[in-house]
Amino acid sequence: MANDIEKKPSSSTTAFKIIIGITLMLAGGYLNSQHTFKSIEEPLAAQGIPLTFGNTISVIGVFLILFPVLNSFFFAPLMTAINERNRELENTFSEAESLRKEMGDMKSAYEKRISDTEAEAREKIQAQLKEAQDLRTQLMADAATAKEHMIAQAQEEISREKDKIMNELRVEVVNLALGATEKLIGENVNNETNKRLVQEFIEKAEVPSK
Amino acid sequence: MLDLIFRGSFIASGAAAGGESHAADAGHHAVSYTGVMVYVGFVIAILIVCMVLAKKGLNNRFFKNKITASFEQLYYFIENLAVGIIGPHGRKYIPMLMVFWLMIFVSNLVSLFFDTAPTADLGFNLAMALMAIGYVQWEGIRANGVIGHFSHFAGPKLTGALIGINFLIFPIEIISEAMKNLSLTLRLYGNIHGGHQAVTAMNKLGEPWVPVGAFLLPVKLLTCVVQALIFCLLLCVYIGLVTHHEHEEGHAHDDDHGHEDHSATLEPEASPA
Amino acid sequence: MNAPFALGLAALGVAIGLGMIGAGAMNGMSRQPEAIGKLQTAMLIALAFVELVFLLTVFVGMGALPK
Repeated sequence: MANDIEKKPSSSTTAFKIIIGITLMLAGGYLNSQHTFKSIEEPLAAQGIPLTFGNTISVIGVFLILFPVLNSFFFAPLMTAINERNRELENTFSEAESLRKEMGDMKSAYEKRISDTEAEAREKIQAQLKEAQDLRTQLMADAATAKEHMIAQAQEEISREKDKIMNELRVEVVNLALGATEKLIGENVNNETNKRLVQEFIEKAEVPSK
Repeated sequence: MLDLIFRGSFIASGAAAGGESHAADAGHHAVSYTGVMVYVGFVIAILIVCMVLAKKGLNNRFFKNKITASFEQLYYFIENLAVGIIGPHGRKYIPMLMVFWLMIFVSNLVSLFFDTAPTADLGFNLAMALMAIGYVQWEGIRANGVIGHFSHFAGPKLTGALIGINFLIFPIEIISEAMKNLSLTLRLYGNIHGGHQAVTAMNKLGEPWVPVGAFLLPVKLLTCVVQALIFCLLLCVYIGLVTHHEHEEGHAHDDDHGHEDHSATLEPEASPA
Repeated sequence: MNAPFALGLAALGVAIGLGMIGAGAMNGMSRQPEAIGKLQTAMLIALAFVELVFLLTVFVGMGALPK
């Protein structure tokens, strides 16, 4: 029967169907004009069922023609157009989707790079800060040691200077004492024994001043 | 002018006269052969014109052409119907369903404005029903083989003494299969022709001045759509029933639903009761 | 006089049946809005079958109507 609704009906079957359809149309018209089915139709019509079989046969023929003709004339192009358009749209959508994905990837990579750079910079700054602090503490320690060293040196020098001056003072005092004693006594006491005596005395006298 | 409105027609169908001799006594106007054929040609001409107009808009990326867009919507609608009811392999029936839908819908629309229409003629409807059911049988034979298809009519597989039941079921199923033709035919005819009858009957209420029947137009428009939908829907259901078997042979499938639609009919009624 | 009355009775029964189908479908739809598509399909099929009963009645009874 209406076997014509395949995707690609071959042209020979289409032609065959069209021929059969035309034949059926003509046959329906002919049979109707001959009142072939009058014996069935009249009782039905009396029942209120106005059925004409000639119409039926002809309409079957019309439909047999109509199926392949409409299919190849309009429905096949319509379906291909719709499917093609849908595929195109799908392609566009998937393309956009992939582009968006790519952009997202790029964005996340960029963000990652930025954050990496930031972290690196922070790290570097931290390292520099730490280094500077280290340097500061080291410098401070250095300075402190240098200060102490200098203080010690200065104190040493002072004491040395003091000692030297004291010695010189002592020698001077001895000499003065001897000179004064000489003049007092009028004789030379500037011998070794006297000198030692005075020295000892001065050393004894010196003790409380120290 | 008023007279034309009263008759619900803008063109006096010259065809009506031929049929009156057949069934005038029953109050029916069987349209003559040429009359129906003129109307069929008219409907086909409308379709072809629409398609020619729609074909121009096919090349755009988006169908800007209104007719093309509506054909596209129709395509999606039918695709939903076919794929939803028949299954994924229902896609190949779309062109056929579209031909049926368009023919029925356009002739129903024609019946709104003219005295008669192809779908208001029993012969036309019977032809469509015969083609539809014949195609269903053909598809069933192609899917299940001749024996498989006809053994489906015998109901569930029974053994032993119960096998007699199969012989009882078989003629009933064959009759119900034949009645599908009749039901498809009469439903369409009754709705469209009954619409005309109702319009003429209601026109008699306000005979001289008010065409009361014209107020039925919205209901009739609804009927147009629903009838085209139901024809295609039932065709889908029938095709789905005969072609489902190839996928789920082993299952305990719809053999017990064998009488498919009637069970579907009963269910909504049974629940309130 | 009997035939029109009988047709009226048929119309009454069919109207009740159609109403019940509609009510059932509406109930189901309101309970499960996601199943509306399937329910509508089933409802339309059911409507078609009930309607057919009335059409058959009309065709059978039409011959008996008074002319």
